Amino acid sequence: MNEKKAAILGEIPRLRRYARSLLRDRDAADDLVQDCLERALVRLDNWQTGESPRRWLFTIMHHLFIDQMRKVNRRGEAAMLPLEAGEALAQPAEQVESIASREIIDALQAISPDRRAALVMVAIEGFSYAEAANILGVPAGTLMSRIARGREELRGLLDDTARRRAIRIVEK
Amino acid sequence: MIRRDFSERDIHMALDGELPGDERAAYDAWLDANPEMKARSVRYTADRAALRAAFAGVLDEPVPARLQKIVLGEAPVRVEASRSRWWLAAAAAAMLAVGGLGGYFAGIDRIGQEDPAEDQLAEQAIAAHVIYAAEKRHAVEVPASDKDHLQTWLSNRVGLKLVAPDLTANGFQLIGGRLLPAGDGKAAMLLYEDDKGERISLFVTAESTENAKGTYASAQDGPQAVYWLDKGYGCAVVGSLPREQLAVVAKSAYGQLLAGLAT
Repeated sequence: MNEKKAAILGEIPRLRRYARSLLRDRDAADDLVQDCLERALVRLDNWQTGESPRRWLFTIMHHLFIDQMRKVNRRGEAAMLPLEAGEALAQPAEQVESIASREIIDALQAISPDRRAALVMVAIEGFSYAEAANILGVPAGTLMSRIARGREELRGLLDDTARRRAIRIVEK
Repeated sequence: MIRRDFSERDIHMALDGELPGDERAAYDAWLDANPEMKARSVRYTADRAALRAAFAGVLDEPVPARLQKIVLGEAPVRVEASRSRWWLAAAAAAMLAVGGLGGYFAGIDRIGQEDPAEDQLAEQAIAAHVIYAAEKRHAVEVPASDKDHLQTWLSNRVGLKLVAPDLTANGFQLIGGRLLPAGDGKAAMLLYEDDKGERISLFVTAESTENAKGTYASAQDGPQAVYWLDKGYGCAVVGSLPREQLAVVAKSAYGQLLAGLAT
């Protein structure tokens, strides 16, 4: 196994975490990682020596994700999806989550994909603003405003969740 | 040291490790002098910790073999990968965000958790169900045969654009509906029946429920209510079905009600 492949293997856990934060559903997230790895292997020659494998892979995966989200929005497919499909996919695949984790994961899913990606990149993945802006392909100012708005939106949703009763089953 | 004014932007920079080290002391002093900003900083810090905690476990999961095989060249690389699955999830996530159902799905996982405060909507809905679902001949004021009138009438009275959900896929046919009091306002009750004579009702009100709280009454025989409150409207699905089945019917009804409200 060559060095490049070994480096890619080592990044899979991080890629999986990023994908999970973008998509929530475990299988769907791994599908995204799979697409990313396949694209990376096809383009192995494009990977410049000295470039961090993490940055290179995250860039590939981010483009896959954002392209697809844009297509979905453009075609309005989201709105046409049957309720049952959304429901099935919204359920985490046998994950044990605390209520606090579940709430924040739900809230994260509800903020816009651009803001979600920016926030996750910095707050969870630990990239610097410069690195994250580079991976996402946006100016640093845009990245900062996405992070700020993303955080505000996330906090607003969590406040809503706390305030709202959402739904309960009442037994009488 | 040049003193500068700090702003909310600096809270993010500080949190993300982007604040220059020599500004840190001045920033901390600014936070101490601005309780509101300090509170915000504390909340964002806690949110970040929660976010990290929520996803920390992923790094410890074993890497799925299918992913390793791709890198090791043990699986054929598809040039145009099948993205069907994950983009569907992305689409679903987008839909949930738009429809606001995310909160609903989050909430249903909390079934059975006790909330000490009373919930008027659920109690009214259950009370109405107990009285009217038991009626043979006078269960409804306007029968389903006059559905258009029923919807227009109830919409006008309740003050919401009401579309009676079609629950035939769940085995329930609309019998009709009636107008009921709800708090200081009005509520619409729609009654459904399956071929075994089992009845469920849908209770919808425009009453603001900001002060109402969810209730978990003691488990005894009797109908259950699956309900949802939001700004400006609340609805409950009541019946004596098994809990899972009632939840399924309620989801279907909510989806259609929401879609109807939006038209």
